[in-house]
Amino acid sequence: MHQHLDHNGACFLSLIDGRVKLLTALALLVMVLSAGGWLFPLVTAGLCITVCRMRGVPIKTLLLRFAEPGFIILMIVLLKLFFTGKSPLFTIHLAGLEISGYREGLSEGLAIGSRITGGVAVMATLVVFTPFTELMAALAWLRVPRVFIDITIFAWRYLFLLFDDAKVIYSAQKNRLGYSGYRKGLRSFGTLTGTLVIKAFDSSQSITTAMVQRGYDGTMPMLKQKPFRSVEVAAGCAFLMCMGMLWSI
Amino acid sequence: MLKFLVFAALLLFAAPAHAMHISEGILPLPWAVAWYVVALPFVALGIRQLNALSRQDLSYKPLAGLMAAVVFIISCMPVPVPTAGTCSHPCGTGMAAILLGPLASTVIASVSLLLQALFLSHGGLSTLGANIVSMGVVGSLAGYLTFKGLRAMGASLAVAAFFAGIQADWATYLVTSVELASGIRGAEPFLPLLEKIMLAFVPTQLPLGILEGAMTVGMVVLLKRKRPDILVRMNVLEAREVKGNG
Repeated sequence: MHQHLDHNGACFLSLIDGRVKLLTALALLVMVLSAGGWLFPLVTAGLCITVCRMRGVPIKTLLLRFAEPGFIILMIVLLKLFFTGKSPLFTIHLAGLEISGYREGLSEGLAIGSRITGGVAVMATLVVFTPFTELMAALAWLRVPRVFIDITIFAWRYLFLLFDDAKVIYSAQKNRLGYSGYRKGLRSFGTLTGTLVIKAFDSSQSITTAMVQRGYDGTMPMLKQKPFRSVEVAAGCAFLMCMGMLWSI
Repeated sequence: MLKFLVFAALLLFAAPAHAMHISEGILPLPWAVAWYVVALPFVALGIRQLNALSRQDLSYKPLAGLMAAVVFIISCMPVPVPTAGTCSHPCGTGMAAILLGPLASTVIASVSLLLQALFLSHGGLSTLGANIVSMGVVGSLAGYLTFKGLRAMGASLAVAAFFAGIQADWATYLVTSVELASGIRGAEPFLPLLEKIMLAFVPTQLPLGILEGAMTVGMVVLLKRKRPDILVRMNVLEAREVKGNG
């Protein structure tokens, strides 16, 4: 699940202010979504994937990231190809039946597919080059309510602990044939969920006690934002202007 | 007939999809913004409620965070779906809504969806609004109202939890279908596309809703047996009901 890299590495994108990266990514996402054709989203995706690869992100990680969206793209292209449009592109004769794919459908499907590819690539790049705490600080700077940020930080912090607990319980249940039939499986899954909820309740109490002893007053500490560096802002603007020109073509 | 056969073939391919959330980039910009606008008041109300509760009880924020982590884990867990012969995964919002109420559950689902969008590419930032509406708002409200309604009519805890789980899941997928159909239809008429998308969800979501109901029952029954104090604290049960059970 940890897809971001060691941010201490010497990469200029990792060193840029999280706010600049977030705003640039959001602007790029808006451009991808509002692009008329499929070229701009695909160019954006290509650029993002190249940057990630140059940073050393393994191909397997990128493939994992694109696995689910890739399947959705395939489904949408097929759905659109066979059900949208009037100008037949090809006709398949299958067991005496004629099935047509339509030009308009293919074009619409590919446009949606390219938007998905572009959007996923932009988000992947943002996450790869921005540590979680920096991302949360950038969201707080964008006036996302503090309670929302605090809950997200708690969720992220304890997600891995609960996930490990869930894995232990799941394998224990599996070893005791807890998933050997549908009835047993359903019961085991319910027990697993219930146990996680109990752990969440108990942990919330002990975490609060420990944090109060260390001065917790209801607000989580947040990264202190430094003033914007004009070079970074200028670089972000220049990049967006270039992409904007490409978008308008 | 021909179209039906092609569609049937697509359904077979669609079965393994973990089609929980609307993927990044599917919705055009106006629709993405529109769903954010719909989601915003509910999230704002939820945040207001969580703010007030966490001022009274400092452990409420960590609890909400941990519940968001539980929802995240549950919705990442592959569960076998017998009729489709494949795996899918439940939402978990019905369970959160029963325990913490629909508004807090909306915020919890939003947090979980944000983390999944950022780190797993399940859903996306542009489709976060749409996913919050389907899973957070509608899923939570459907689960909560079903649970409270059935309890008010005298249903047992297990029966009410079962139907709450089912309703939360099916309502989520109904709204997801509407969001998808409105977003990707282009010049196509809305209703026929909605029908196709809903049909595509049937092989996995029909049994998965039942599974989500069973999971919610399992959770509630376990809590009642092992830790009834949690159910009392969350106003799911009254103290006298726990004492009555010995």
